[in-house]
Amino acid sequence: MTRSPHDWRLFLLPMAALASSAHAADYLTVAQAQVLLFPAAKDFADQTLKFDDAQRNRIKAAAGVRQRTAEQKVWRAERDGQLLGWFIVDEVIGKHEFITYAMAISPDGHVLGVEILSYRETHGGQVRDASWRKHFAGKTLADRFKLDEDVPNISGATLSCRNVMDGVKRLLVVHKLFLAKA
Amino acid sequence: MNPFRQSALALAMLGLSLPALADENLFGYVRGAEVLPRGQVEAYQWFTQRSDKGAGKYRAIDSKTEVEYGVTDRFQVSAELNMLSIDTSDLLIDGYLPGDKKYGLRPQGIELAAKYNFLSPAKDDFGLSGTASLEYGMLDVHSGQKKTEYEFETQLQAQKFFLEGQLTWVGNIGVRAAYEKRKAIANLPNGFEWSTDPEMEISTKIGTGLSYRFAPGWYGGAEVLREAEYETEVGLERWSVFAGPTLHYGDKQWWATLTYFRQLRGGGEKYAGQADEHLHLIEKTKNEIRVKLGYNF
Repeated sequence: MTRSPHDWRLFLLPMAALASSAHAADYLTVAQAQVLLFPAAKDFADQTLKFDDAQRNRIKAAAGVRQRTAEQKVWRAERDGQLLGWFIVDEVIGKHEFITYAMAISPDGHVLGVEILSYRETHGGQVRDASWRKHFAGKTLADRFKLDEDVPNISGATLSCRNVMDGVKRLLVVHKLFLAKA
Repeated sequence: MNPFRQSALALAMLGLSLPALADENLFGYVRGAEVLPRGQVEAYQWFTQRSDKGAGKYRAIDSKTEVEYGVTDRFQVSAELNMLSIDTSDLLIDGYLPGDKKYGLRPQGIELAAKYNFLSPAKDDFGLSGTASLEYGMLDVHSGQKKTEYEFETQLQAQKFFLEGQLTWVGNIGVRAAYEKRKAIANLPNGFEWSTDPEMEISTKIGTGLSYRFAPGWYGGAEVLREAEYETEVGLERWSVFAGPTLHYGDKQWWATLTYFRQLRGGGEKYAGQADEHLHLIEKTKNEIRVKLGYNF
């Protein structure tokens, strides 16, 4: 049988075209999210955390999900020297891209709020809606963090909802282990 | 450029211009358990090139154009138009390939399908869905000859996420029953058997795949599929195992999946003079390439 060496190229054409159409959707900058989550704060002091393998394992054991990165961007939100809470920027896996979100944690370890900085998935744009994000307010590590119980699922974006919810729980663990006594 | 290649190129470009598509397929052959959300409409276009029977020339392209609709958050329905293009020569397989045949894409059949999601892979930790489909066919996808076919297929899809969704496992098991009746052919080669009696055929499919997201939007993986056909008189008539790598790219609205499938082993009936003893080449080929294009409305 004769086979053309060009056959594969024809099948690759659409994929190459699709890959070139990738785009990003960034909704908030870090500075904008800081103002939204800590409107009373005057200073945001960079307090980025760096984890070794043992620390990442401790986070995973307590949170149930991986601490994927060895570095976690954290800011200490203050007003006139008084600690208002912690502002953390994190990324979790979405269907296609990473979902970037910011979270505010009070000094005593409950969620003050969540803002979505980047979301690029096909379905589930409602994660940016205040009506969905409000379900995180007040959450602590005493909560179960069960999708559709603690936080509602969004059809078509279940993986995104699950990963943001698990990410919030992981950041509460990070706060408990490394920030609560800082 | 010959007409066959023109068809492939034209359809590839058509895929790019479709208005929008279905539940995202990380794999070319095995299916995941996820369904469309309620009210969402997607369409997708896929092409499969089947080639090389170990003798003569054989190349066919299957085209499938599908529209899916999410009736509820757990239940979706779909409709498909199937087309076939074939180019075969210098190859006679008694009872199956009666002679040379060459034509561009023609309507081959239509299909209606439904999929129900029992468990969500992201929410319930283990995903499970079931599908059922009805198909009407007018052309034999192996020989390109005319025939009437009614087919019912049902399948279970299991799916499990690992590493927060960075690694996806999928497993499928299904059964297909078909009623087929070939049209008579004039000027058959001397002594060539071409039954036009109605036939019933039952076949099973078991497949699995693993896909890893190695960069944002990009998944690489592998999949394997075993198919077996059964007939009343001979029991297990033919079987084949295909496997190969799969590459997937997904954007917010578009996605594409490319899979190369090679037949690793096969058995059962063989054609006279078949050189590859351990392959099923009566109806299958040695190689398949499948590309799927999806666009979300």
